[in-house]
Amino acid sequence: MIRLLATGLALIAAPCVALAHHSAIRFDLTIRDNMVSGIVKEFVPANPHTKIVLEITDDKGTRDVEFEGHSRNNYYRAGWRDGMVKVGDKITLQSAPTRDGSDGGYALGVIAADGTRF
Amino acid sequence: MLAPNSREEFSMSRSSPKLKLGATVLGLMIAGAASGAEHPDFTGVWGNYRAPGAAAPQRGAAQAPLPLRAEAKAKVDAYRALVDPRGDTPGGFCLGTGMPGSMLGSGGYPMEIVQHKDLILVVYEAHAEIRRIYLGEPANPADLFPDRNGYSIGRWEGEKLIVETTHLKEAVDQGRYPHSDQAKVVEEYTLAVNADGTKVLTSNMTMTDPAFYTQTITAEKKWQLQPGVRLLPYECNEPLWDEHLERLRQGQDEPG
Repeated sequence: MIRLLATGLALIAAPCVALAHHSAIRFDLTIRDNMVSGIVKEFVPANPHTKIVLEITDDKGTRDVEFEGHSRNNYYRAGWRDGMVKVGDKITLQSAPTRDGSDGGYALGVIAADGTRF
Repeated sequence: MLAPNSREEFSMSRSSPKLKLGATVLGLMIAGAASGAEHPDFTGVWGNYRAPGAAAPQRGAAQAPLPLRAEAKAKVDAYRALVDPRGDTPGGFCLGTGMPGSMLGSGGYPMEIVQHKDLILVVYEAHAEIRRIYLGEPANPADLFPDRNGYSIGRWEGEKLIVETTHLKEAVDQGRYPHSDQAKVVEEYTLAVNADGTKVLTSNMTMTDPAFYTQTITAEKKWQLQPGVRLLPYECNEPLWDEHLERLRQGQDEPG
């Protein structure tokens, strides 16, 4: 329900066709070791890409930041299992940053709250 | 779209098609007689083949230019100009790749083959694309319509499976080999066993498309059997449906 509400409210005005759009071109995949920690607000394992929203606190302040990640299937094969990442967990993402330096990134790997890596 | 760690292994040759078996694969064909089967059995789940000690293929590596006709190149260039700045791909919009990309790109996400006497099902996990290869009575051409994966008929030549695919839609959005609706793809599948016992399936593909290309396109793809691996469901539009429902709940969707 949380996922429904959050995604629905965020995208109400978007045209239907845009909702399924995923592209990795926004990310600088040559940088693959940007570690970002935060509190999970959303974790939506999906294909073709997973959506992760973290509440991040750093010198810019506290805000929600959205990341794109590998597909649910790829995360599964890397060790992710249902329930491993929950809202409220503190997790760390190994990410590729955005090309324009804005918040967000591509989550190449995840360190779950219990230390499990996938 | 395929994840960055997905990969495909193929080569393009402008020469006439010829069979190529990898240097690391022994030319040991699996004889049907060994198992008592009439033909080699391709049943199983297959992933990308990588020769022992071989480096991972580089994604985004430079590729040789395609021998496209001028009109075809103009179409492809126009498409690229449209999507490349945004990085848009069919897969990013939950659309399957279609042939030949569905076959050449499979393996990062595994491929499952279910083999029957008159029908071979090939399931590519990514976008849950399914190809049906008919070995029995062919369909009436009047009953067929173009599709991204086309219509495939197969036949056995000894231990080699020959698959011919026609009725393809024009697809400038193919990642590597765009084609017209005149394209015909022929695949020759062979099974071999490495010295270490690894089963290796090879597809040598030839695509003829006089409307798009000045020369025949050939490519080779190899997979290795992945015992114990199962294909996963690949729902892709679920978030889109969830979001649509939420808009309905909010009373903010357009009238039906």
